[in-house]
Amino acid sequence: MADETAFSLNKREFLTGMVAAGAAAMVPAAAFGADDRLVFANYGGSWEQAMRKAWMDPFTKETGIQVVSASGNTLGRMQAMVEAGKVEWDLVEGTPDLASVGIQKGLLEPLDFKVIDRSLMLDRPEFRSDYMVPGVILGRLLVVNQKLGPVPPEWPSLFDVARFPGKRAFWTKADSGLLEIALMADGVPADKLYPLDLPRAFKKLDTIKKDILWFETVTQSEQFMRDGQAVMGLLADGRAYNVKNSGGPVEILPEASILLWSVLVVPKGAPNKQAAMRFLSYIYTVKAQTAIAMEYNYGPIMQKAIDQLPPERVALISGGPSTKGKGVFLNSAWWNENLERVTEQFLNWRLG
Amino acid sequence: MPYSRHQGLVTFAFLAPAIILLVAVLIWPVLDLVGRSFQDPGGPFVLYARLLEVPIYLRVLARTLLFSVATSLVCLVLGYPVAYALARARPLARAIILVCILLPFWTNLLVRTYGWILILNPQGIVNTVLLQLGIISAPLDIVYNFLGALIGMSQIMLPYLILPVYSVMVKLDPQLANAARTLGAGPVRTFVSIYFPLTLPGVMAGLLLVFTISLGFFVIPAILGGSGGLLLAQLIEFNVNTSLNWGMASALSTTLLAATLLLYMIGDRWLNLGAIWGLRR
Repeated sequence: MADETAFSLNKREFLTGMVAAGAAAMVPAAAFGADDRLVFANYGGSWEQAMRKAWMDPFTKETGIQVVSASGNTLGRMQAMVEAGKVEWDLVEGTPDLASVGIQKGLLEPLDFKVIDRSLMLDRPEFRSDYMVPGVILGRLLVVNQKLGPVPPEWPSLFDVARFPGKRAFWTKADSGLLEIALMADGVPADKLYPLDLPRAFKKLDTIKKDILWFETVTQSEQFMRDGQAVMGLLADGRAYNVKNSGGPVEILPEASILLWSVLVVPKGAPNKQAAMRFLSYIYTVKAQTAIAMEYNYGPIMQKAIDQLPPERVALISGGPSTKGKGVFLNSAWWNENLERVTEQFLNWRLG
Repeated sequence: MPYSRHQGLVTFAFLAPAIILLVAVLIWPVLDLVGRSFQDPGGPFVLYARLLEVPIYLRVLARTLLFSVATSLVCLVLGYPVAYALARARPLARAIILVCILLPFWTNLLVRTYGWILILNPQGIVNTVLLQLGIISAPLDIVYNFLGALIGMSQIMLPYLILPVYSVMVKLDPQLANAARTLGAGPVRTFVSIYFPLTLPGVMAGLLLVFTISLGFFVIPAILGGSGGLLLAQLIEFNVNTSLNWGMASALSTTLLAATLLLYMIGDRWLNLGAIWGLRR
């Protein structure tokens, strides 16, 4: 009975209700942001679980601020939200172009470095920005089949088809690091890679062109290495360890690493901006950086955190001491400007 | 004639929801897409100029058309006899054949695609069997190239050819073939002059369906094709999701649409495709 009366409105009640609902809809979303929760758009999956354990849950325990994960963390969606004035995310994780394009198009809030302490951050010029902080370091590693015997952990090995016959597994994307690898194998020093000498890279790649097995998805890359269809490959770090840990016949050579990093940004008009700043300030502590490195193999952004890890853990950390300083960072600023042009040429080369 | 006008209105009323839906979800977005391709800040034809200048785009367009034609022809060769068997079968056998045709149709696309990898890869079923029988001495290259993409694609497209051809075949009067035989035509002549021409509307409809769907296919060529499976849909996807150049994606889509319409017009002229839709005899 009670339910029935509650849902039978007369005309006037109905109209008042409509006006109230309309007024509520007109109040900007930011007004509701009480900063007691924040929405964090990230890559999800096992990485989200690691972040939850190392970062989100301890943060909630300390501050009472709930962290809600959202998926679909793409530039396109962030742009659509900011342009529509209806921002649902407070913090977004992504590739460096999320920051560079975001800054260019005015989609980001400046970060509050009075709250976030970045004094312990690894000192790389591309990590310093008013609008973003680096998240973690990711690697793409040289993985080889055990039946090849000991393989020198350096890029020329990939091109030595006479000594190491068999297929090489590479990503179909132009910015996978393959062009940089070809140039380094051809003798270009790592600090003189950019702007990339494309004709030279393609010429070097021509020598192994018929030995390349292209993968479109990272799942394929694991399959190629696990069942031996490819004897060498450049694999994303997590995928490489997946193959190894599930008994795949592979060795991982971290001295041959291509390094990237993730960025964290706050979209313009984020409803719980202050909560996002506090979360960033929390994860920028040695404790939180050590905790995430224990949960996942991505590299922490602080040397002090790496120093505190047990040696067997350090060996797995992307961009850590196991690379012996030989890991090479992709130049995301250059790629951001040249991706389209280089992709056109790269595909044209692939078609031969 | 009031009766006929009334009938016309009724017909329109029945069609209206479908027309509204088509305008809303197909025609309007397609026009928007075509419009976008001329809206580059540099000028209306900047994107098309780049499409002509940079060699990769026309090359991939040509490959896409070639791939779709090849898929259609493979489906015709494999599908026509199946449709014939289906049309001639008794009800139980017909039901069994139909289930066999439709079962893969209901299976998840990725499952089927990865299934093909298990069958075709160098250590896969086909190569293992052939190697052990001593028929070949080295594994055949039948996946991660044009052939692999063609095999995977043809399987998926087969029902689109079989079903239209079958629907025409069941309606054919079996007496026509008998008449041809009694008039002295051999089996080959009967097929070539009588049976095949009569099934042509179904064949054309099937080919057109397979061709058009193949043009925009993404997953199978990308996974089974390696560099050989590089088709226009992948370039469009790159522009939509990675480089965020929606203008270029629109220009590529518009070009594909224009090329398809052009081919259709040529086909209409030479092969009388319009007869399929009953527009003329």
